[in-house]
Amino acid sequence: MSEEIQQLFEERLARYQATIALEPTDRMVVAGTGSNNFAEIYAGYSRQEIMYDINKWMAAESKFAEDFPQIDLLRAGRIWAPLFEAVGFKLYKLPGRDLPTDIDFQFVEGEWMKPEDYDLLIHNPVEFMMEHRLRRVLGEFKEKGSVRSYMAFLKGGMAFMMMGQLMREKTLNLEKKHGLPVPTQGVMLAPFDVLADGYRGLEGIMIDIFERPEKIMEACSALIPDLVNCALGTADPLKRYPIFMPLHRGNHPFLSPKQFNTFYWPPLFKAISLLIEAGYTVRAYLEGDWTPNWHHWNEFPKGKILCDIDNKADVARAKQEIGGTVCLAGGILDRMFILGTPDEIRTRVRELCETVGKDGGLILNGGCAIPYLTKPENFRAFIDATLEYGKYSETVKPKLKEPPTLPAGGPVPGHPPRVITPWQVRAKELGGVMGDEKLIKEAWEMFERRAFCWLHFWDW
Amino acid sequence: MGELTQLAQAMADLDKNHVIALVENKLKGSIPPLEIVKELNDGMIEIGNRFTACEYYISELIFSSHIYKEVMVFLGPHLSQIELDQKAGTVVIGTVRGDIHDIGKNIVVTLLRNAGFKTIDLGVDVAADKFVEALKETRAKALALSCLLNLAITEMKNVVDALVAAKMRDQIKVVIGGQPIDEKVCEYVGADYYGADAPAGVRICKQIYGQ
Repeated sequence: MSEEIQQLFEERLARYQATIALEPTDRMVVAGTGSNNFAEIYAGYSRQEIMYDINKWMAAESKFAEDFPQIDLLRAGRIWAPLFEAVGFKLYKLPGRDLPTDIDFQFVEGEWMKPEDYDLLIHNPVEFMMEHRLRRVLGEFKEKGSVRSYMAFLKGGMAFMMMGQLMREKTLNLEKKHGLPVPTQGVMLAPFDVLADGYRGLEGIMIDIFERPEKIMEACSALIPDLVNCALGTADPLKRYPIFMPLHRGNHPFLSPKQFNTFYWPPLFKAISLLIEAGYTVRAYLEGDWTPNWHHWNEFPKGKILCDIDNKADVARAKQEIGGTVCLAGGILDRMFILGTPDEIRTRVRELCETVGKDGGLILNGGCAIPYLTKPENFRAFIDATLEYGKYSETVKPKLKEPPTLPAGGPVPGHPPRVITPWQVRAKELGGVMGDEKLIKEAWEMFERRAFCWLHFWDW
Repeated sequence: MGELTQLAQAMADLDKNHVIALVENKLKGSIPPLEIVKELNDGMIEIGNRFTACEYYISELIFSSHIYKEVMVFLGPHLSQIELDQKAGTVVIGTVRGDIHDIGKNIVVTLLRNAGFKTIDLGVDVAADKFVEALKETRAKALALSCLLNLAITEMKNVVDALVAAKMRDQIKVVIGGQPIDEKVCEYVGADYYGADAPAGVRICKQIYGQ
């Protein structure tokens, strides 16, 4: 990487970090969106090509970075369809396979866990996954014990590692070639959303609220350590980037305030607190309308969270009610990017810069994303207007944050990253080793830990 | 509506065991099944009202549908299809092509049924010609289009254009709703109304049928 690119990368990253920390910066982050969907298809590739062909995906990102060199961030990772093919994952409809090539991939709502499975999930999550859930959600694992099911696990593990490597390459391509940081790295779901999205499904979880509320609470509590440990396993080891959290059912009016306060918030608060204590920041998408529930974000320490405010909620109100604690992103309606004109975009950007964003703590964005169907001239106007109206200071130069150290006792005290067969069991089987046991133990546990997380990492 | 009966009240309060016990007793006591359904529906109307008043949430709506379904398992065989038909008007509804999300649509369907509408639910990923076909078959005056994704903006316009092409546009009122929908999108699509939320969609359907 040239010195110039390195400097650009550091300036952008430091600006993003300072914005999240609610500290002074020189100007607004430009196009600091987490999910720049427009960037994926701007180069002219179909949704299918992007999801299946990593070279086209990378070329699309480079093209976007070259054509819009003023942007401060660009997403490098998301869903790589070959991983799903390897195991026959059923929870997404994919472009080119189940949908026309130019339609967005979509989640398949359904009951993927039975109500009677709660106890197993709570007390023995590995058995729950292997004996119940994965057989339902991985088509290739349906006939457990068959050659095809063994192959599915082999292919799935390979694809999982390969995806990690490809996403790292893409991240490095943006960093080294274009000086672009990524908006997030690593992902965690809210414990309640894990149950509500890909396990019990919407109908199932809503019935459970009335018929087996204690099971939801126990399951959410039981999920926290594994969710946190697995999120940390995919997060940036240097702690430069926030961990991504798409949040779904905290969206009004899914849950009553009492239900939200009982089922949704306490486990989410606990899980995020553990990430913060481990030295990370979080970027949470408040999908839909979180207005009646977002006051809870004030319970976190200041400057650790970035909340994306969706189109259904008012970013100005969010600024008043939680803007003293968390940084916000949003403010521009998706339909303005799609149907509007450059003049309308300029006017809206100016208005936001002069009001909600005048003292910082705001990243201009669509509703949790820049839409696929954005007109290029509107995106350009969005960049130009942010640069023109989003200036704060000629003298402030944010500095890169030093990564905080991990708390003693690990990120989740009492819950080290889970392994399926502990080293002690293996060591006993071996009856002693001739050389350095630590080396063998580390290799054993590395794969055990990663394989366990692999069981979890399907539905986000 | 006057005072709720004991069964309607139990339904409105989502007291599942009580609802089931009351319905079983009424059946044993030879109360006409249609009267039982009417009481249940009164309870469902109250649930819709409570949702509109923000006293109930989607969780309560879904649980109420669950109770209703459970009751219908043993009450349904006592009823003929004609008796179950709704009278307030017919609404053809679906999530437009390219979008497979149905949560918002299902909430509107629940509220419409609670309000006495016959709803022809075409499901998700519905092509424009399927809407046209259903409107021709049912002679419904109201078409409700739902979505979550932005791609629906252009697809909803396609549906309205298909109504024009089928020379039906002036006979049908089109109401749209979903994540990206607002007044400007409504104007672009050429719909008659947009519902900012599910209760608004139901109010509009009532308006279309002159209630």
